[in-house]
Amino acid sequence: MIKPVMNNAPMDTVNFKRMINFGWLFKMALRDSRRNRGRLLLFISSIVFGIGALVAIYSFRYNIQNDVNEQAASLIGADLTINGNKEPDATMQKLLDGLGDDRSQERSFPSMVYFIRSQSTRLVQVKALQGAFPYYGELETTPIQAGREFKAGKNALVDKTLMLQFNAKVNDSIKVGNETFLIAGVLNKAPGQTGISSGIAPVVYIPMQYLDKTGLITVGSRINYSYYYKFGSKTDVEKLAKKLDPQLDKAGFSYNTVEGKKEGTSRSFADLSNFLSLVGFIALLLGCVGVASAINIYIREKIQSIAIMRCMGVKASEAFLIYLIQITGIGLIGSVAGAILGTSIQHLLPYVLKDFLPITISVSISWMAIGQGILLGLIISILFALLPLISIRNISPLNTLRLSFDDTTTMRDPLRWLVYVLMLLFIASFSYLQLDSWASAAVFTLGIIIAFLILTAIAWLLIRFTRLLVMSSWSYIWRQGFANLYRPNNQTIILTVSIGLSTAFICTLFLIQQLLISQVTLSTGDNQSNMILFDIQTPQKKGVADLTRKEGLPILSQVPMIIMRLEKVNGKTAADAKKDSTLNISQNSYNYEYRVTYRDSLTSSETITSGTWVGKAEPGKDIPVSAEERFARRINAKVGDKLVFNVQGVLMNTYISSIRKVNWNKISTNFQVVFPTGSLEDAPQIHVLLTHVPSNTVSAKYQQAVVKQYPNVSIIDLGLVLSVLDELLGKIGYVIKFMTGFSIITGIIVLISSVRISKYQRIQESVLLRTLGGSRKQIFAITALEYLFLGALSALTGIVIAVGSSWLLAKYSFDMAYSVNFLPVIAIFFIITLLTVVIGLLNSRGILNRSPLEVLRSNA
Amino acid sequence: MLHKLKIAFVLALTITVAGCGSKSKPNDTTAQTDTTKAAAASSTKTILVFGDSLTAGYGLDDQSESYPSVLQTKIDSAKLPYTIVNGGLSGETSAGGKSRIDWLLKQHVDVFVLELGANDGLRGIPVEETEQNLQTIIDRVKAKYPKAKLVMLGMQVPPNMGATYVTAFKEMFPKLATKNNMTLVPFLLQGVGGVRTLNQKDGIHPTAAGAKILATNVWQVIKGIL
Repeated sequence: MIKPVMNNAPMDTVNFKRMINFGWLFKMALRDSRRNRGRLLLFISSIVFGIGALVAIYSFRYNIQNDVNEQAASLIGADLTINGNKEPDATMQKLLDGLGDDRSQERSFPSMVYFIRSQSTRLVQVKALQGAFPYYGELETTPIQAGREFKAGKNALVDKTLMLQFNAKVNDSIKVGNETFLIAGVLNKAPGQTGISSGIAPVVYIPMQYLDKTGLITVGSRINYSYYYKFGSKTDVEKLAKKLDPQLDKAGFSYNTVEGKKEGTSRSFADLSNFLSLVGFIALLLGCVGVASAINIYIREKIQSIAIMRCMGVKASEAFLIYLIQITGIGLIGSVAGAILGTSIQHLLPYVLKDFLPITISVSISWMAIGQGILLGLIISILFALLPLISIRNISPLNTLRLSFDDTTTMRDPLRWLVYVLMLLFIASFSYLQLDSWASAAVFTLGIIIAFLILTAIAWLLIRFTRLLVMSSWSYIWRQGFANLYRPNNQTIILTVSIGLSTAFICTLFLIQQLLISQVTLSTGDNQSNMILFDIQTPQKKGVADLTRKEGLPILSQVPMIIMRLEKVNGKTAADAKKDSTLNISQNSYNYEYRVTYRDSLTSSETITSGTWVGKAEPGKDIPVSAEERFARRINAKVGDKLVFNVQGVLMNTYISSIRKVNWNKISTNFQVVFPTGSLEDAPQIHVLLTHVPSNTVSAKYQQAVVKQYPNVSIIDLGLVLSVLDELLGKIGYVIKFMTGFSIITGIIVLISSVRISKYQRIQESVLLRTLGGSRKQIFAITALEYLFLGALSALTGIVIAVGSSWLLAKYSFDMAYSVNFLPVIAIFFIITLLTVVIGLLNSRGILNRSPLEVLRSNA
Repeated sequence: MLHKLKIAFVLALTITVAGCGSKSKPNDTTAQTDTTKAAAASSTKTILVFGDSLTAGYGLDDQSESYPSVLQTKIDSAKLPYTIVNGGLSGETSAGGKSRIDWLLKQHVDVFVLELGANDGLRGIPVEETEQNLQTIIDRVKAKYPKAKLVMLGMQVPPNMGATYVTAFKEMFPKLATKNNMTLVPFLLQGVGGVRTLNQKDGIHPTAAGAKILATNVWQVIKGIL
């Protein structure tokens, strides 16, 4: 046995090399926690809220993502579709028959269908179907069962508008080719209708077993062959499809998957998925803020106990371990309770809100979310406890007793840096779990570090400046209120960081939500086109417009369209560009048939990025045209460059007077090249008219009127196509709003609880002040001033950070223009400041209402 | 967002629906330039082929592969003094042709070849409507160049359109030809329509090899009147 270090002291019986007795450590950890269970509860509650927020947000996120994915599958109605415009050969047929767990097939082709009752003919898209398609979504019909049962007999499903147009009723008959079919139902909505081809003509479904009898399939028929597949949940359809692609391509077939369709259909899917990642990330940070602020203050309060224990002979390592064990216990209890809270919120909320939400949010327990939440709570607790605990490890009992734990010596402690590195690693790896990409995880972690540093710097500056600023000429209350910000045991840094970060998260989410919602515009809006009329001849232009107005429909746009080709770019022809690749002129730009319009002004979806818009051409001179950004890039041209267009035989000399940015985000007629007035009026042209029809009935009546008077005009009714998409986008919009709202509320709760834990920080002082004769009003004012200052400054900093981060997100992550309404942001500022002050005052209310002695005794 | 799709509707649909894509080669718009050439050599006469993407040579690698160009080589090798002006425009319907014809009739025409209606047929436009438009076009040509010889290129729509429509459509061309005393090529796509190897991937537009057969179909009939 080795001799004790200090022989002459009574303490020499203490064996400093003794083995660590874990049982005793656990007992001590438990005993210590018994001292003030009420206070402990407050800290645990902060952890509970942090982790609860995280688990609830994660769970919602996983569930919602699943819901939307499921719904998105109705865009194509199957996991995989394969299309081609010719009959598959033997090898191809074998391949097609071998795929999927369930398969359906369809032949589609345009045909003139005869409505027997009204004795009229109309071009429709006939779809002959076999099998259980659609696997996702339904053929929504009236009556409902028709969608499932029509295949049993010689029945047809007919597009709703078409039914109205020909005044047809269910149980009427239509003739497709040589066969007569009974109209079993009206088709209201069908999956897989979002492709361009489905827009051409209204759809009529017939069962495939009667297709041959129609006599429409023969030599020279133009038929589309579609094969629909459903796969078991384990198949990676995307991967499989990519593998098949070369084979399919060779055979002249193409494929479509849900993922591909989502990408090609709407960027809202990508936006939603990005947004949910962001929400997940923010939930993670909310959890961190909740847990970290609680642990940090808790350990600081424990310094005195530790010092006493050290003086009593507890080794530094033992003290360290006792509190580590305690924190682990607290973290675990808090995290588990938080996970339970989060999961119950996730289950209760949709139930409570079910009458208000237009979407059903499925509620299955997400073990992934719960696991992440508990693990995260535990890790954050330990990591954030380690920082103050490490400093204890190095200092002597006396130092600890004197409470001079200024971080002067500990900054060089390598262990401290290790903890910092661990924290970063931890945040980065959890970000990765949320964001699925190391690059973005790194960027986000870096962003957080920067936000953290900004807030710490602000807090530090605040401490320095107030110290200089406070004048002895000020009234006592003001001096005291400000002094609280820099005196020892101040809470400036911890509160600035937690209030600031929470504000930054809340505000970022709010701003991003604004941006995203403005992007989710639906065709159901009155200003959105859902019907296109094209091939209107110049003499018919006025007539069609008048007719449209007479039917009470808006003319959203009516534009002339002229087909032309690009002949020369700065004197270089296609042949020159082919020879000299350094010209950087895309060969395709010479082959393309440009659909060009002319007008005297820009539309609302266009902005000039360089040059000036000229609305009128001067006779005899080169024509000033406006080029779309990407078009200009393709032909490597800039303002002032000369272009020669071949307008159906006539060469027109033009120069680029301006380059436009076009917002392609609306159904509208946008053009690569726009001519000014006074240039193309005489050229052969057709006109395109866009309108919005509010209902199928109106659509049918209008189409009838147009076709009767202007049989050459073709109409595309996007109603059926857009309805599937609209429903989906509507859901995405609500999901974004819901998740934002929920995250903001949890953010506020976390913020409240992190301010709330500062309750005991000021008790001693307030009580002393009261004992010394301070009035309730004075203490009230001092506290109010301190929290007002902290709240306002951190909220402001948080908002500035949020504006910066949301701008970066908008630009780099969501790729959209940054235009937000800052008015609500100002409201957020006042709300958070007010909230901070209110909680601060509530914190000291207990002291103010009771007699000082009572408080002193119970808290001593 | 969904808008990519929607733009496709506006810009592509108007085009694709018309039965003709947007990538055809710069050969359908050379009417004017060729005519000036024709005018310069006063000894040669002008054949105007007025049509849609089939005439324009949609999807072919080179203008010289379109059937009017192949026809030109046949005329040249027969040492006939005719220059062909390609007046084809992808997506053209009979109604569009009616509006455009005056633009092209500004130049002298000795032989007028009419190849329109296919896009009307694919869109299910009533046959009477198409017939009326074609008649108007013929009337305009007759009014401006009474001496011009007229040729009608017959067209058919795929059988999937339904027998009634297919028949009515098919019969329209001989009917118009007889009425207006035109030389008739019964079916321009004879031997090509429905034959996969002679058509491009879309199944409507002939390949270079297909265009050669088209030219032969026309040449068989037209050589008699030149």
